[in-house]
Amino acid sequence: MEYSPEVVRRFDSTRRAGELQAGSGGLVSGEAEDRTLGVWVRFQLQVSDGIVRAARFAAFGCPHTIAAADCVAEQLEGARASEIRMLDVRAIQRELGVPVAKLGKLLRIEDALAACSRALPGT
Amino acid sequence: MNAEIYLDYAATSPLDPAVAAAMSDCLAHEFGNPSSQHAAGKRARALVEAARAEVAARVGAAAERIFFTSGATEANNLALKGSLARRGARAHLVTSTIEHRSVLDAARALEQAGVAVTYVPADSLGRVAPDDVARALRAETALVSIMHVNNETGVIQDVDSIGALCRARGVPLHVDAAQSVGKVPLDVGASPIAVCSLTAHKVCGPKGVGALYVAEGVSLAPQMHGGEQEHGLRAGTLATHQAVGMGKAYALADPEREAPRLAALRDALWERLRAIPGVRQNGDPQRRAPHVLNVTFPGVEGESLRFALGDVAVSAGSACSADSPEASHVLTGMGLSDALASSSLRFSVGRFTTEAEIGLAAARVVAEVERLRARARGAPEWCTT
Repeated sequence: MEYSPEVVRRFDSTRRAGELQAGSGGLVSGEAEDRTLGVWVRFQLQVSDGIVRAARFAAFGCPHTIAAADCVAEQLEGARASEIRMLDVRAIQRELGVPVAKLGKLLRIEDALAACSRALPGT
Repeated sequence: MNAEIYLDYAATSPLDPAVAAAMSDCLAHEFGNPSSQHAAGKRARALVEAARAEVAARVGAAAERIFFTSGATEANNLALKGSLARRGARAHLVTSTIEHRSVLDAARALEQAGVAVTYVPADSLGRVAPDDVARALRAETALVSIMHVNNETGVIQDVDSIGALCRARGVPLHVDAAQSVGKVPLDVGASPIAVCSLTAHKVCGPKGVGALYVAEGVSLAPQMHGGEQEHGLRAGTLATHQAVGMGKAYALADPEREAPRLAALRDALWERLRAIPGVRQNGDPQRRAPHVLNVTFPGVEGESLRFALGDVAVSAGSACSADSPEASHVLTGMGLSDALASSSLRFSVGRFTTEAEIGLAAARVVAEVERLRARARGAPEWCTT
């Protein structure tokens, strides 16, 4: 399996792996899994005034999944909460050079974001 | 970047310098075709026969019962297809679910040609029960094929008992011994093994050469045609330097000398890894080859662990190169879930592995398992069961 330099960099030094502190207010989370693909992803978002102020992820998955989750979490910060479902995982797949064969795993990231979106207050 | 720590000897091994020297000398000076009758050919033939004698001596065979091939995969294919070819549509083959792919894929090819195949399962410790093999035998069974040392777990199958019951029923036993030589004693002449596959590159010899032991009185149909080399069983000009390399590698591969050191290295690695919460060894700890340690790290995704280890060369119990990762058929055959099978690594030590490397590798594994588990905190139960 080949990994792009960006996947290697993000896997070796994930910036947004971990958990947000409960009680910091406006915390929503969403997760998705596919047991047959061996992947689980969870995002935690701190949202205030309709803006994602912080994002963290946890993942059980291959290096591509972890790198993509880290990239997604980074892109979520500063985004409008109402737009988190619009995040294009396929664009991240291309950006990170993730093989098309791994797209099924990355789509669980999209599912986790959808779960976050559903958990937003007022939705 | 640190130098790579190579713990994947069960996949292949570095060439021993003495083997390289013997091959190099052959390549430089002996280009003759061993089948030629002139002086150059006779010199090459002498080298091939000396190598054959070395291979035979290591496995307890008469030299004339050793036939060179391109490796164990070809030897396994020749053993299975050559045994079944002349038995007609009602032929039956018995093998196990935990064989190497070169046996399983050959068996499946035979199935497609109409051969009935029974796959005997292994138990949770990776052992194939002789009684299960006995129950699978039929009047039309043409061959039983059971490996000696499993390439993923190192578990040693009881081929003596299996061979004895096969012999009692008049069925030849084929044994894939690709992982055995130099690690565990193998004496085909004193055992009820009828056919046995061997390879050079697992034992610090060259890739691209192996051999098939065929006991006297056992008849195989050749699978390649185009010459009478190897008494008509395997056509094609013999690669003299390859045979020389295999002969030298087998001469050096003394399990009495190497096995205790390999077992000590393997045990030292396990002693360090067992400190990781939840880890488990796979395979019968009482009946296994000294060079293989298969470990499951629950809660750690296998591809990520292999990638994180980077300069520690190990193998997975699974292939995660596609969208639908296929868990190791050996580990799932022993009852592990797909998730646990995919969270497993095979460590295998060899002639040039050092104690210092074991310490460094263990420290890397412990650190990376902790890091990946932290990243997966909160994961569902199936990731760990």
